Amino acid sequence: MREFFGSSLVKVGLGVLVLIGTALVPLVQSQQEQVLTIAFDAADLKTLDPHFASATMDRAVVDMVFNGLVRYKPGDITVFEPDLAQSWQVNGNVWTFNLRRGVMCHPWGGNPGYELTSEDVVYSLTKAADAARSAYSGEYTGMTFEAVDKYTVRITLPTALSEVLFFPKIADYAGGFIVCKKAVEDLGDDAFKTNPVGTGPFMFQSYSPMEKVVLVKNPNYFRGAPKLDKVVVRYMSDVTARESGLETGELDVIEGRPEQPWVEKMQAKPGTVVDTFGPGETVVIHWNMTKKPFDDIRVRWALDFCLSREELVAAIGPAIAEPLCAPVPPVLAGGISCTDVGVLRYDQNIETAMALLAEAGYPNGFDAGEVVTSERAEYLIPMQNIQAQLAECGVKVTLKVVDHSSMHTLIRQDVNPMVLYVAWRPNADAFLTRFYHSASIVVTGAKPDTNFSHIGGVDADGDGSIDSIDSLIETARSELIPGKQIWLWQKAQIEIMGLNAAYPFYIKKFVFARKPNVNYGYTLISTLALYPPINELTSK
Amino acid sequence: MAPAPQLRYHSDEMIGYAIRRILISIPILLAVLTIVFLLARVAPGDPAQAILGDYASKEAVQALRERMGLNRPLWQQYLDFIVGLARGNLGKSMITGFPVARQVAYALPYTIELTLSGIIFGAVFGIPLGIYTALRRNRLPDYLGRIFSLAGLSFPTFYLGILLILAFAVWLKLFPAVGGGDLHNLGDNLRHLVLPGLTLGLIMTAYVTRMSRSSILNVLNEDYVRTARSKGLRERIVIYKHILKNALIPIISIIGVYSIVLIGGSLLVEIVFSRPGLGKMMVGAMLQRDYITLQSVMVIYAGFVVLINLLTDLAYGLVDPRIKYD
Amino acid sequence: MTRMISPRRRMLRTFLRNKTSVAGAALALAMILVAVLAPWISPYNPLKQNVYYRFTPPEASHPLGTDFYGCDILSRVLWGARVSLLVGTASVLLGMVFGMVLGMLAAYKGGRVESAIMRATDVMMSFPDEVFGIMIVVVLGSGLLKLVIAIAILMAPRFIRLAHAPTLSLKERDYVSAARAIGVSDARIITKHILPNIFGELLVMGTLWVGTAIRLEANLSFLGLGVPPPTPTWGNMIRTGMDHLTDAWWVSVFPGVAILLTVFAFNLMGDGLRDVTDPKLRA
Repeated sequence: MREFFGSSLVKVGLGVLVLIGTALVPLVQSQQEQVLTIAFDAADLKTLDPHFASATMDRAVVDMVFNGLVRYKPGDITVFEPDLAQSWQVNGNVWTFNLRRGVMCHPWGGNPGYELTSEDVVYSLTKAADAARSAYSGEYTGMTFEAVDKYTVRITLPTALSEVLFFPKIADYAGGFIVCKKAVEDLGDDAFKTNPVGTGPFMFQSYSPMEKVVLVKNPNYFRGAPKLDKVVVRYMSDVTARESGLETGELDVIEGRPEQPWVEKMQAKPGTVVDTFGPGETVVIHWNMTKKPFDDIRVRWALDFCLSREELVAAIGPAIAEPLCAPVPPVLAGGISCTDVGVLRYDQNIETAMALLAEAGYPNGFDAGEVVTSERAEYLIPMQNIQAQLAECGVKVTLKVVDHSSMHTLIRQDVNPMVLYVAWRPNADAFLTRFYHSASIVVTGAKPDTNFSHIGGVDADGDGSIDSIDSLIETARSELIPGKQIWLWQKAQIEIMGLNAAYPFYIKKFVFARKPNVNYGYTLISTLALYPPINELTSK
Repeated sequence: MAPAPQLRYHSDEMIGYAIRRILISIPILLAVLTIVFLLARVAPGDPAQAILGDYASKEAVQALRERMGLNRPLWQQYLDFIVGLARGNLGKSMITGFPVARQVAYALPYTIELTLSGIIFGAVFGIPLGIYTALRRNRLPDYLGRIFSLAGLSFPTFYLGILLILAFAVWLKLFPAVGGGDLHNLGDNLRHLVLPGLTLGLIMTAYVTRMSRSSILNVLNEDYVRTARSKGLRERIVIYKHILKNALIPIISIIGVYSIVLIGGSLLVEIVFSRPGLGKMMVGAMLQRDYITLQSVMVIYAGFVVLINLLTDLAYGLVDPRIKYD
Repeated sequence: MTRMISPRRRMLRTFLRNKTSVAGAALALAMILVAVLAPWISPYNPLKQNVYYRFTPPEASHPLGTDFYGCDILSRVLWGARVSLLVGTASVLLGMVFGMVLGMLAAYKGGRVESAIMRATDVMMSFPDEVFGIMIVVVLGSGLLKLVIAIAILMAPRFIRLAHAPTLSLKERDYVSAARAIGVSDARIITKHILPNIFGELLVMGTLWVGTAIRLEANLSFLGLGVPPPTPTWGNMIRTGMDHLTDAWWVSVFPGVAILLTVFAFNLMGDGLRDVTDPKLRA
């Protein structure tokens, strides 16, 4: 009886399973291998070492392979969440992080994966702080990292910092990505560039030069196994190729062209969804206040009135370009929106511009000389429009188009009377310090960086004294009360705008297109990964 | 009557000549290497900055320069370059750290198949067209042929590529316009080769038609041809026996010379069609200031030219024993 | 009764008899006129942007359409003729002067001077034009003058070879030896006896190579190594249009037609000129 009951139960059970099985067959078959292919506008990768990766296509792979101690909430950069660290305590300038247990490093080159511990975290942050092994070492100056025990990491800062300023350094962004010590040591720094090993939802499988990187799902991912089996990252620098790949279904997600005509064309295509998202990159013109006649505030004032933000935004396209009216974009704590900045928006007024120019002694405009700019579209397109706009006020600009890295080198040698710069910085302090602190003045600053306007080193308004916002930036940096910190940052920007040191144009958002069946698994508003992040929740 | 020259093969003399000819190529190649090395070094732009991007601090850029050996004395870098090359080592890409030789191995077949298909297309259509128009000198076919070949000579390679893309890829949707296809999948590979190959092929046809025509015309004026004709030999025999054989030499050298032009053209075709290949590698390396990759690609290009010149000269000797080997 | 006619006049006659060459010369002349008259005949300012009217297809107000910035393509094509023709002729002239001097010097002096110049020529000719051109422009940087210099560097070796061979044989002529024997200076021999004899052929090939130089300019501009914006050049225009080939073909196609016509004109003309100087091909 018992046997009979048992065996019949087994039979019924089997029957039910078979039924479910047959019902599932079509489903299973169609989902056999879930491969998502994403194509980037690049000829090849540059480096997959997260502490060097800076270009979009590299950040994307890094984002899928690595984690940070904390992370930006997927799709929304205004919120931080626990990542490799489960919890943390802060005591003045000392932060203690408790690591999540059982997080496994990916296997690599025949080696099995192993559990990530505080040793790896300390190793990784030390690497990120080492100028020879990281592009982001400047962020970690004076910081010390120690492993308290296997699952506890202590970070000591030279001075106390607010969360807004500290978290970007240890989040899933740039130097904050945690690499697996044994893998780096085993492979060596050079090989690691094309064989990244981390703890993220996808594991590196192979790299074919100038063609693709293949990632496979990490079944042991601590947030659960990814829905996708594979992610293929393709390098296709031709936009037409990417478009047709998307059309034929060979590609699921493609990097678009940050131009209005492209967005409109793709939106009109059935079976295609265009995503534009932030935070984007700020596009700002810095007037070099050491070069004549830009040393005269009336001239800069005139130019600010001469330029039309609206026209440039129209040229780039409202789908991609969002007007920016202050140095720090409003999405960040301390940023100022176009409405709030008020009169300092400098709405175009050619009459005022011409009158100011006449007052400064240039009634018919002047020749501003040679301006070095990059051959890349993100620079060349706005620069050509700016050139045409300034010509309307009689200001002649001669463009000197050079390759991208030459431009970066040359503008840091202070050759330009005006510098158009396209950049993203993770917080208000980084924006203000690197572009407007006297220490960052190109060539002559204590720590030369990207202060192209020389604010803080010159008499900007002609009153006989040097105009500096250094103290505002520094006070804000060490301020721990969020509201006060924000107020200080905003005040600094009002100063900058009042001295006409720079003219912010717009925020350039990112553009990707995808098949409608691709579901990222979260709402995409903004991301520092520069691509629509693909994680364990993404499916197609 | 001047006898028509016979094809003969003087093996000893020939080999001696070949060796001497190869020896001459060596100093040229060395000079080429030096020029390439120096050009890549004096070019403005900083590979370290290119790798690190705009966010990098100045120290990081300096540290990387140091690590990449960019701060070492020039002669040391030069020595490394030459020694490496002698060992068949092209070095590692400054950007990805990936061995350049492997990138070249990936790109080279695409460039070779493209250039070869252009040369073959040009020879197959150009030589007969050249003969045909020469024999009908100053008649309608000759005028048409002349206009066609001059038009072909006038086309910037990339523009012909663009027009073919518009016609066959955008409007007719017959062939893919982008990429090189999968090398391991013959059908796919060939489909991707059609338009770029045709671009180079049409231009090569123009060159070859024009030059074959004029070399045939040259031969037509030679005494032995006139004599052969006056003796009442059948036209076909005259053409094959006397004219073609003698016109072959200049035609070979023309194909050699224009293969070099075609290699230059292939660079632009690769960019237009977004095909993998040396040209794409070179432009990519140029944009990123990847000196190591850049100099390797240039050396390979120059190597091809030197090799083609060598082969043309040797083929010349093979076909025409009247050439003095000295 | 036949009248004696000068060789120069005979050459002109031969040239004029070749109808295609005359057509080429006329076309080239027309292009030069367009370049000169661009400011008066172009309907719009080629630099005037109007981003609100971008990518207008060819229509009555813009016969060739507008580009990304809303600039009138017809006006830009007309103005573009200036850069192309200027770069084409200036670079060939520059290359010709240097190539001619070096080639004659090599042949005339012989010995080390000759081998140094001729080997350097071999080395320079060991690169495809595009490859060497890219490298030179990368090293020199961009700009009109630099582009002219770069293309001149590419053209010079051709002229060196062209001047070298005939000088070698002229050097052996009796009257040159005689002049030498009575102590006429080298410079005088070269300018009086050698130059006049080779100049014709150099000029003919020079004309033919103007087309080549224009094509090289277009190639380099297409790769983004040409004259920087906003100066309209045909190569730049095609380059910017490439990204919008599927939705705004006119941006690339029309400047291409302009290049094609110009180079074709020079090739037609050069073709006829060559027939004139090459007695073998004379019918």
